[in-house]
Amino acid sequence: MDGVLLSKLKNQIKKDSECKTMLDALNKVTACYRHLVIALGSTSDSQNLREELKKTRKKAQELAVANRNKLTELLKDKTTSKDDRAEYERLWVLFTSSMELLEVDMKRSLEIGQEFPLKVPTRHLIQTGMTGSTTTVAARAMSVQNMKYDADSNIDTADLKELQAEITQVGQMMEEMEMKVQVAPWAVEAKQEAGAELKSTLSVGNSSVGVISICEEDARSCPGDENCCVCIPNGTDSPYSPLL
Amino acid sequence: MTIRTLRDYGQHYRPRMACLKNVEVFVVEMQDPKSGVKGADQKLNVTIIPHVINGQDILAWIVTKMKVTTEEAQAFGTMLVAYGYIYPLQNHRKLVLVPDSTLYRFQTPYFWPVQKWPAEDIDYAIYLARRNIRKKGMLEPYEQQHYDNLHKWMNPKWDFIVMQATEQYKANKERKKPDRVVLDCQERAYWIVHRPPRRTHSAMDYGLDRLIDPNAEEVLTFDVVRRTNIFLTQALMRSAVKSSMSLTAFVKFVTTHHNHDPFLTTPVPSNPWITDSDEFWQLNSRSVDIPTKLSVERWVLSFWELISDPRGRVDFKLFLKKEHSAENMAFYEAAEEMRWGAASAIPEKSQFIFNTFLKPGAPRWINIDGRTMGLTVKGLVVPHRYVLDAAQTHIFLLMKKDTFYRYLKSPVHKDMQKRALVPAPHVFTDAQLEANVRNRNPGVSPILQWQQEEEEKAAAAVAARPIDVKAMVATNKLDRK
Repeated sequence: MDGVLLSKLKNQIKKDSECKTMLDALNKVTACYRHLVIALGSTSDSQNLREELKKTRKKAQELAVANRNKLTELLKDKTTSKDDRAEYERLWVLFTSSMELLEVDMKRSLEIGQEFPLKVPTRHLIQTGMTGSTTTVAARAMSVQNMKYDADSNIDTADLKELQAEITQVGQMMEEMEMKVQVAPWAVEAKQEAGAELKSTLSVGNSSVGVISICEEDARSCPGDENCCVCIPNGTDSPYSPLL
Repeated sequence: MTIRTLRDYGQHYRPRMACLKNVEVFVVEMQDPKSGVKGADQKLNVTIIPHVINGQDILAWIVTKMKVTTEEAQAFGTMLVAYGYIYPLQNHRKLVLVPDSTLYRFQTPYFWPVQKWPAEDIDYAIYLARRNIRKKGMLEPYEQQHYDNLHKWMNPKWDFIVMQATEQYKANKERKKPDRVVLDCQERAYWIVHRPPRRTHSAMDYGLDRLIDPNAEEVLTFDVVRRTNIFLTQALMRSAVKSSMSLTAFVKFVTTHHNHDPFLTTPVPSNPWITDSDEFWQLNSRSVDIPTKLSVERWVLSFWELISDPRGRVDFKLFLKKEHSAENMAFYEAAEEMRWGAASAIPEKSQFIFNTFLKPGAPRWINIDGRTMGLTVKGLVVPHRYVLDAAQTHIFLLMKKDTFYRYLKSPVHKDMQKRALVPAPHVFTDAQLEANVRNRNPGVSPILQWQQEEEEKAAAAVAARPIDVKAMVATNKLDRK
């Protein structure tokens, strides 16, 4: 009897953690997709960027479908306790917010992609000052070490058609989700309080030290403008600052 | 999650900003490396970031390209900066084109203003959270206010916001240093345009949201054409005033009211909407002792102005009390109340008005001509909202043509003109303006004001009742001993 209960509990915990990891992955992919779309149309745009966008999108779609299935399965289960149900509703709100952001970004990337085609004799990409490549971001999204590029040369036109189809697909999926799952999005209470992001990030690592050292150089030659874009106040050398 | 399947027939669409598409074409031409403005490199200590442009060069290029004068090119350039197509690098809060060596850069197409995609609050929340991480909790005061506000009302999505912010921060760290600087500057410029700090003019201001989507194609069905036809035929049938006449009337109105319009002349002491100090409203309120000179001048313009200004109405009623002819104004006010009041109160009010003003031998009998009186009394048998319209118009015209001119010549008014004060204009420093914002108070409660008005009305009604001679004899008031 105990053994059955214990295995049930273990199963539950496994399901929950799976759900959370999948949501985290979706979140990561959404953030990276947005980063890539910002670079669209500027001088860091290229064949590679379009391909990265396509790959990230596909991954996002897969994750979305997987998440949706998992969450609907969890929410349909009538035997969950009240706390569990509240938790699942919170995860559901996370999922739908991610999907909304993704949908908006996909629509915008369609518009910008149409405005700035790559296959014309003279490209009109905006000189924004960004010249680096976005490979690392895309690699982060796909959770791979190196990105492989293998698309053909007419990626902009063919891709855009696919993109349109995918946008309608996502739209339909969201409407369906709203109809079928009865979750009140305003009734969910957030677990994080204001300023929570300050505690959660900036783990001690190479990157943060690097940023601070570069900034110290900048601070010396900064034009005195306290709102200079990359300066972090010199006094703080610990990654954690006193909260507001 | 935004509810998508709700059809609430509300106004949700921004009006079409027609200039944006044309500006985009212009900007694309402008940034062309061969024929556009020449870009240079910006040196930020160790890092070199390409594609910066000079204010001077931008101005010169616009002048040659559009073949306009320098002032017009300056205005056009400022418009480009204000909309966010170009952003300044040094003084990032002031969105103007300075025609010297100040540096600007082009904005990426994702952050261009597009009519279809307004800047969403959830994006702003994610941006503020990310900025919080970068600045380690030191946000600007207006940003901090926005942050607290958003945390309060977007609370259900706050977990998502924090998660996205941290993820985006990590994704940003994957880029090289020059790109990171550019990304940060770009996004900051975008949010300065779409969530401007206090007391800055924003180019993205517009009037009201629209009911129909301006980007939706209008399907030309038979019904639409039929209704357009009907509308246009009716428009043709209407009699129209000649534009020469209507325009002269318009010009006359503008010249007479020029000093009283807060857009054309700065109000003294200061415009409360701009400086957050409500002294202007307090000086012009109903219960103030001495009104401002400007409002007294306004009362002279027409009877309607006198009646619409609450302080003016008080003054006029004072004059009428001295002349013992307050029943006209009282009838006018009672009729207005009936007209705008609740439908359930109409029978009771009409009864009261009849007994007080219209019945022969009524205590406050008004003097209107026989025909109007007959019509009104007949209408009061089955009272509706507009029964007293004819009588009210008659009384209004009477007051306007006769009492108003006597008022203007009266000592009450002349005395007021002499005593009226001219308040000194305010000069606030930035710190004082911030203090004003913090010290804003909600003012007198409207419930309290209404109660005061009711008391005054009751007192006036009591005072206007005819003197009961028998009662006065009984209380020995008439006795001259």
